[in-house]
Amino acid sequence: MATFELYRRSTIGMCLTETLDEMVSSGTLSPELAIQVLVQFDKSMTDALENQVKSKVNIKGHLHTYRFCDNVWTFILTDAQFKNEETTEQVGKVKIVACDSKLLSQ
Amino acid sequence: MAEPGLEGSQPVDLSKHPSGIVPTLQNIVSTVNLDCKLDLKAIALQARNAEYNPKRFAAVIMRIREPKTTALIFASGKMVCTGAKSEQQSKLAARKYARIIQKLGFPAKFKDFKIQNIVGSCDVKFPIRLEGLAYSHGAFSSYEPELFPGLIYRMKQPKIVLLIFVSGKIVLTGAKVREETYTAFENIYPVLTEFRKVQQ
Repeated sequence: MATFELYRRSTIGMCLTETLDEMVSSGTLSPELAIQVLVQFDKSMTDALENQVKSKVNIKGHLHTYRFCDNVWTFILTDAQFKNEETTEQVGKVKIVACDSKLLSQ
Repeated sequence: MAEPGLEGSQPVDLSKHPSGIVPTLQNIVSTVNLDCKLDLKAIALQARNAEYNPKRFAAVIMRIREPKTTALIFASGKMVCTGAKSEQQSKLAARKYARIIQKLGFPAKFKDFKIQNIVGSCDVKFPIRLEGLAYSHGAFSSYEPELFPGLIYRMKQPKIVLLIFVSGKIVLTGAKVREETYTAFENIYPVLTEFRKVQQ
């Protein structure tokens, strides 16, 4: 299954990468295995978001900038409101990066 | 911002507009040659508010907010600017796009700027008998209500296409200079009054 490496930049992805880096440099993990873990992380994130996450979030804000290049949409919103069933959160500035998952199956 | 064509905001020059109605300009399309080859992908990646999907369309689509316009930017260096409400705004917008391209490191010029089309609209504020108009101006008219609710009037002099709707709303397109839009409307106005629909 092909996946995006998009989620490696998330907090959890960065933490995993840092830990793997540490383990590789201390010699407790081979670089090949570290890469394999990251690839599994990509798959697991995609799977989890697709099959386990049921909640929805509405995002509303002023569109400051948009871009579509290489099939990736980038949006920068200012004064955005994130709203789900439980809470609303106001954010001054937020960047959204979105890929089309349909492209992976091609 | 006060719209110049808006009724009541300014006295209408009746020598230029005997009908007392001045069509409002709605869209200006202009072209310009930046006279240098462009790397569209580099532009899409660096500029803001740009879309580039070469599989669908071979140009970068870029927008600016002031004047609110859209530009199509081609690899050849040719550019189309749409959406401006006046000739000056269209030129200003085209210059702003050229400036953006320059700032990205391309030696963009500003060659052969030209207004390609002007679209105007107005409201005569009375309903019109389109069938009667189509019948008596058969050579210029096409009225197929099953295809399109408006009457398409292809004026020969000036060469302007008018969309005339029952409601009295008129769209004028095809002009290269705004005077053609104004002349076309003054030409058609007496015809419209002739085919004014009388309400029962």
